[in-house]
Amino acid sequence: MAEVLVELGIAFTVLAIAGALAARLDQSVIPAYILAGVVVGPNPPHSLGPVDLTLVSRWQILDVGAELGVVFLLFFLGLEFSPDRLLARPTRLLGVGATDFLVNFGVGAAIAALFGFPLLTALFLASIVYISSSAVVTKSLVERGWIADPESDVILGTLVFEDLLIAVVLAVLTAVALGGGGVGAVLASVGTAAAFLLVLAAVAVYGTPYVERLLSVEADELFLLFAVGITTLVAGEALVLGVSEAVAAFFVGIAFGQTDHAERLETVVGPTRDLFAAVFFFTIGLSTDVTTFLDVGLLLVVAVVATGLSKVASGLLGGRFYGLNRRRSLRVGVGLVPRGEFSLVIASLATTAGATIPRTDELASFTVGYVLVMSVLGTVAMRYADEFTAFTGGE
Amino acid sequence: MTVYETDLPGVGRKFEYEIDGEDRLVVLIHHDGKREVFRRPSPEADSEKLFELSDQQAREFGTLLEGAYFQPVDLERAQVPLGDELIEWHDVGADSPVVGKSLSDCGIRRRTGTTVLAVQRDDETVGNPEPGFELAAGDVVVALGTRAEHETLTDLLSE
Repeated sequence: MAEVLVELGIAFTVLAIAGALAARLDQSVIPAYILAGVVVGPNPPHSLGPVDLTLVSRWQILDVGAELGVVFLLFFLGLEFSPDRLLARPTRLLGVGATDFLVNFGVGAAIAALFGFPLLTALFLASIVYISSSAVVTKSLVERGWIADPESDVILGTLVFEDLLIAVVLAVLTAVALGGGGVGAVLASVGTAAAFLLVLAAVAVYGTPYVERLLSVEADELFLLFAVGITTLVAGEALVLGVSEAVAAFFVGIAFGQTDHAERLETVVGPTRDLFAAVFFFTIGLSTDVTTFLDVGLLLVVAVVATGLSKVASGLLGGRFYGLNRRRSLRVGVGLVPRGEFSLVIASLATTAGATIPRTDELASFTVGYVLVMSVLGTVAMRYADEFTAFTGGE
Repeated sequence: MTVYETDLPGVGRKFEYEIDGEDRLVVLIHHDGKREVFRRPSPEADSEKLFELSDQQAREFGTLLEGAYFQPVDLERAQVPLGDELIEWHDVGADSPVVGKSLSDCGIRRRTGTTVLAVQRDDETVGNPEPGFELAAGDVVVALGTRAEHETLTDLLSE
């Protein structure tokens, strides 16, 4: 027990230091948390001169924490997801979202085909490169001050569209991945998933008064326990039935978000998400062997260049669609470049399914390398977006 | 006055307030209560961050803007509904002769002509105090009267 406690202590302390360094460098904490896991984990680097760096083993509690991290990342996605918002200006948002999806998912699929990935793995890879990081993008928007300008509406609108689509993609991919072998089994698991999610969706839409009453407790402590309890329970039940626990949590989030408790959930449950999400990124670092990046080096380079440019292009189009000028449109494109937590969630799903998906090891290494590069590259590019506009001839 | 409200998923809520013409104040209320205030001079320009306040600070600052602490008014006009009378605040010093005496013992109404509307003591305000209300050091007497009457009251309190 002492050993576990000491190593967990090391883990959290290292995360705190990494996060503080990232903040100092104006970077997202996500790559920092992953790198923290890489450094102190069982994979190389093993030592720094005489200092042994293999400090944290992969304890089961970390894996459970990481799983809760995925659940709460998606729970908050649902919480902040407002169906009204999507329906407020449907055509424009649909146009921007569809462009974003077709261009970037398409480029991802093309890359996967180029590197000879089989269909199922290709679907995972295309989803991984398609989805921007809500966490990194939103944080950068606030830091750059773009959040007060019209481009943030387009960027956040696109993120909302992506988030809804990724819920669908996750649901389908989970069903396919966990369904295993034959077409019949896959269809059955897709059916179960659809039925389960339909029930959740019905609760989210029609059950608001009941959820409202369920969460109406005075003490923050009880409120937290209720929220965490219900979310984890539903996510767990989903997994038992072979349905994506992440998507189930997403729906619980939507159901909770419809009540008057939305803001209180943000403040009371927010720290729980922060803690477990950090553990999620950390365990990804723990299981990452950076030397395998070399094996996927070419794929990494191609994907970074192609999907970086494709996001800028689709964002430029989207911004123009909203009637923004060239400078603001370019910001939309650059602002959507960072990839992060959801790419990792998709990759970890592939790893969980393991045997049924070919070349998962390659996919996992690729995703970690890709997220490390794209989260940093994206935030740096946002800093220079305006210089680029000026360089290419102003507004 | 037009206020545009936008939901910012993952951040909070954004309010844009038109000042004159194209000039806008942008107020960002984060989920954690933090407020950021920007100004955007024109639709093409970038918003410039003016200041940032915590939830508590923003509430206090807001009441200042609202004029709850101090309402600048034209004195001439303010006096109209009260005729020649105005309301003033008088401090009761530690060595004031009225300390420990009741309002009727001091004969404030009889000797000065002013009407005591309220007495503020620490955080409390006693409205329309009884004649038997005893004054204490540090009290603030809120009284209604003409300028001359107020002067007499000031003398009485510090005699």
